[in-house]
Amino acid sequence: MNLVKIRIAISLLVFTLFLFLFLGGGKISVFLSPILLPLQFVPALIRILIQPEILFMIGLITILIISLIFGRVYCSFLCPLGMLQDSVIALSFKSGLLRKHIYQRPYNWLRYSILGLTFITVVLGSMSLLNFLDPYSLSGRIITNFGKPLTVWIFNAGVDLLKYFNIYFFSKEVPYLPLSILAATFGCFILVLIMSAKYGRLYCNTICPVGTLLGLISRISIFKLVLDQNKCYECVRCEIVCKAGCIDQQKKNIDQSRCVNCFNCLAACSQSVIVYSPSFGKIKKNEWSPARRGFLVGILAAAGSVFLTFNSNIRNLFNTTAAKESPPITPPGSLSLAHFTQACTACYLCVSACPTNVITPSFLEYGITGLLQPLMNYHKSFCDYECNICGKVCPTGAIFSLPLEEKKLIQIGEVKLVKEKCIVYVDKQNCGACGEVCPTHTINFINKSNVLYPETDTQYCIGCGACEKACPTSPKSIVVRSNSIHKKAVQYIAAAKLPQPKKETNKDFPF
Amino acid sequence: MTEVQKTDRREFLKKGLSLGLVAGGAVILGKTDFLSAKETVTAMPDLVAVKNAEPDALFKKAISLMGGMGQFVKKGQTVVVKPNIGFPRKPEIGATTNPLLVKTIIEHCYKAGAKKVYVFDNAVLPTSSNARNCYKISGIEDAANAAGGIVAPADDFGYKEVKIPAARILTKTDVHELILNSDVFINVPVLKHHRSAHLSIAMKNLMGIVNNRMEYHLRGLDQCIADFCLYRKPDLNIVDAYRVLMSHGPSGPRDEASLQVELKKTLLLSRDIVAVDAAATKIFGKDPEDIQYIKFGHEQKIGNMNLKELKIVTYAM
Repeated sequence: MNLVKIRIAISLLVFTLFLFLFLGGGKISVFLSPILLPLQFVPALIRILIQPEILFMIGLITILIISLIFGRVYCSFLCPLGMLQDSVIALSFKSGLLRKHIYQRPYNWLRYSILGLTFITVVLGSMSLLNFLDPYSLSGRIITNFGKPLTVWIFNAGVDLLKYFNIYFFSKEVPYLPLSILAATFGCFILVLIMSAKYGRLYCNTICPVGTLLGLISRISIFKLVLDQNKCYECVRCEIVCKAGCIDQQKKNIDQSRCVNCFNCLAACSQSVIVYSPSFGKIKKNEWSPARRGFLVGILAAAGSVFLTFNSNIRNLFNTTAAKESPPITPPGSLSLAHFTQACTACYLCVSACPTNVITPSFLEYGITGLLQPLMNYHKSFCDYECNICGKVCPTGAIFSLPLEEKKLIQIGEVKLVKEKCIVYVDKQNCGACGEVCPTHTINFINKSNVLYPETDTQYCIGCGACEKACPTSPKSIVVRSNSIHKKAVQYIAAAKLPQPKKETNKDFPF
Repeated sequence: MTEVQKTDRREFLKKGLSLGLVAGGAVILGKTDFLSAKETVTAMPDLVAVKNAEPDALFKKAISLMGGMGQFVKKGQTVVVKPNIGFPRKPEIGATTNPLLVKTIIEHCYKAGAKKVYVFDNAVLPTSSNARNCYKISGIEDAANAAGGIVAPADDFGYKEVKIPAARILTKTDVHELILNSDVFINVPVLKHHRSAHLSIAMKNLMGIVNNRMEYHLRGLDQCIADFCLYRKPDLNIVDAYRVLMSHGPSGPRDEASLQVELKKTLLLSRDIVAVDAAATKIFGKDPEDIQYIKFGHEQKIGNMNLKELKIVTYAM
């Protein structure tokens, strides 16, 4: 049984599914999200802290158990960023950029500090640091920022081509991606690319908080890659292929906390000196063990975060978003600004899946504690009344899945009509663009000498932004203001009813 | 010609009377199709109104009273049929043109020898997902496909700027290429209530063939609607008043309980877009004088809103 081939097969499958998840569009995303995402560490953890759900609990427990039994297989089999790096490493070898891996010193203080700092910032109510570093969310952003426009362009080119054969399809639109987000994602992407092309899995073993945490667990895992010091001839073949740079040939030692279980060394070792087998206490202990200390700190921090996340008042204290004067509008199902900003890891799956592209990334709009998190962008589009896809794909519980009928009554914001700018009031002539598209009967028209003046009845408004999008004036005469805590709108029922249509057939015409 | 000269007045009366009897009898028996070819000899009516049947039967009757589809579509021509597909609503709501009517029209176009029949509309909120929903949910995409129509998304074609020198406001606008390139343009609006323009009928339906409909809203909705008709009048306007949305237009209410739809089972045909709007307004139960864009259209001599001055053929089944 060749473990390397199994790893490559599984990781390729998972990565392909990830591409489909982010690039396949609404329905495919809804289908794949509950299959793939419970097995992603950060989304599963956040979901359980926010609202424990059986699927994600099973997912997280599976990850932990697998890590305890087999080590950091997560990093090589399930993590999309790991697979991305593996392909870069493979390309790097093919192109001759990288000839061999060598043993690298662990940057223990750095990696445990990053892990600790990430924990602390999350506990204090800011997802910013976690969002930047979480490998799943970073992969999601990379795929959304660069893969999405590419697939849309290719799709539209196909649509254009088919046109000449009289076959017509609807072309797609590229979601709006602010320059700041493109730049930030590109920066992270380049960083990961360079690190992996030159140093293998350096990101995973130095920066990635998930890698560091799983590294702590894998130190005590049952199955380990063990190097038999007595048999080893120091041929260095294993060290050359070790992407994690964790095999030290001089000390004849494998750093378990950094081994990502790629199994390359198993295949490379001609003498079967390295074996993957259950090992209890077979490894020589280091005298100085920062990893152990880090492990204790990690456990304490995890416990603390669990305690504090449930006590959201403390998290709110340090959350800058709520204090903003006109905070962004958050998607329906996100309950409140505080809930959303404390649960969203900015993976942009909702951005990719949103059919109207109304959910767009933001950089600083939520303040420094909510970097990268997406918002409802009514300059670009509007929220489709008949759609609840964002809640169905969101893995972290930042946007809860709402039944459509419930979603239709969630008021995420409220319209305000600025009569001083409205064409009908200013020019005394018909416009009514807002009323045409309002799905909730918030906008009514009063007939004064055959001109129809808009008025709003905000109890019905759900803040979908269709009116704001349609309004022809600049600046807009009707705008949605966010509800920091989402409310429930009143269901519209027509006051007056027409009599049922007459049954008997009338043969007269009115002319 | 000599034949006509030979016939004296008495014979003419006799023939006319007998023809009338035959026609009347046929009408009573419900077999009128064989007459329709002869009726084309006389001048085409300005407006045809038919009621009390299903949309396909209404159209068949109405077009025969108009002189048949051959009057409008010649062999080898490309036709564009422009229904109202502005909102993602089911046909029962009455916010979009009846799919069966669209299907029947396309079939007649092909029977008359049309080479290609295109169907499109530019949805009110033209994001691609919304436009796709409009085509699908309205039932028009499936109906048109079934008849062999080429259903094209509005954004699959470009828009070209056209000048309208006689316009009062809308002196230029960008028009969909299908309209510019097709030989025959058939406008198939649905008659419905409109909260912010009173009614949406044939003239207003043409907002779906320009690129920037919001320009109309910004610069004066009623005047722009009228101005555009100066550029190109449809070759035929077919107003669907089968299922008429009486309130909460143009999109209809979202809860079915508030739906106010009247089954008027009526169809109007005319070359005159102003006349057909005026007639449809009366069918709805309003006064054309109250609809600003109809008045503008009459003033600008786009058509005639004084129905009394027109040759109208009505037929109730």
